[in-house]
Amino acid sequence: MNLATKKWIFMKISSVILVPLMLWFIFNFISIYNQNYLEVLSFFTNSANKFLFSFFIVFAYFYSSLSISEVFEDYIQNEKIKNAANKALYIFAIIMPLITIIVIFNLKL
Amino acid sequence: MENKNPLSPHIQIYRWHISSLVSISHRVTGIINIVAITLICIWASLLILGETNYSFINFFLNSIFGKFIALGLAWSFSFQILSEIRHLMMDMGYGFELQITRITGLAVIFGSILLTILIYLIGRNLI
Repeated sequence: MNLATKKWIFMKISSVILVPLMLWFIFNFISIYNQNYLEVLSFFTNSANKFLFSFFIVFAYFYSSLSISEVFEDYIQNEKIKNAANKALYIFAIIMPLITIIVIFNLKL
Repeated sequence: MENKNPLSPHIQIYRWHISSLVSISHRVTGIINIVAITLICIWASLLILGETNYSFINFFLNSIFGKFIALGLAWSFSFQILSEIRHLMMDMGYGFELQITRITGLAVIFGSILLTILIYLIGRNLI
């Protein structure tokens, strides 16, 4: 199996997982985004929400990094720039959810 | 020697169809969503700084601009969800006929608006 096929399969699996997580998050986001500090904090300190939000951001960054690398493939002609952009993208897609999950799991009501 | 050939998709040449509009919008909303998710991660992480530091964010999110961002995000997520379901159906071999691609493309565009309204009404406990 070549790399492009593997990438496509990973994108499809992550998108199937991501669709219900996106729906779950957007309904909750609309209900809490302008609430006070304690309401928002109680959402993120709830165990189930904590885990679901962590899964959501991990899969969102995983799926997005694969699909944005496809955009780079289509629009960046210079190989060096494309490789550098892909590396920066993958590093960002690992670091951002990791930091957020660490912070979320250290939040206390 | 630098390759001067155009890269795919060559959007300046082909005539626009519903499918191309949905495809380009899928990419654009995908990029908007990851920027938005990054801002959401920062928003959630800022909670650790405590209630006093959160008041500015709360003020911003309660403004007209904050409401516009929340609604825009609901639409962007809705579009991505419906467009992804359309892609998954196509990956399984359904909906390749020209007429069906037009219908499903329009369903994604108008469905995303309806889904946004539904998310807002349910999310705000209005129905």
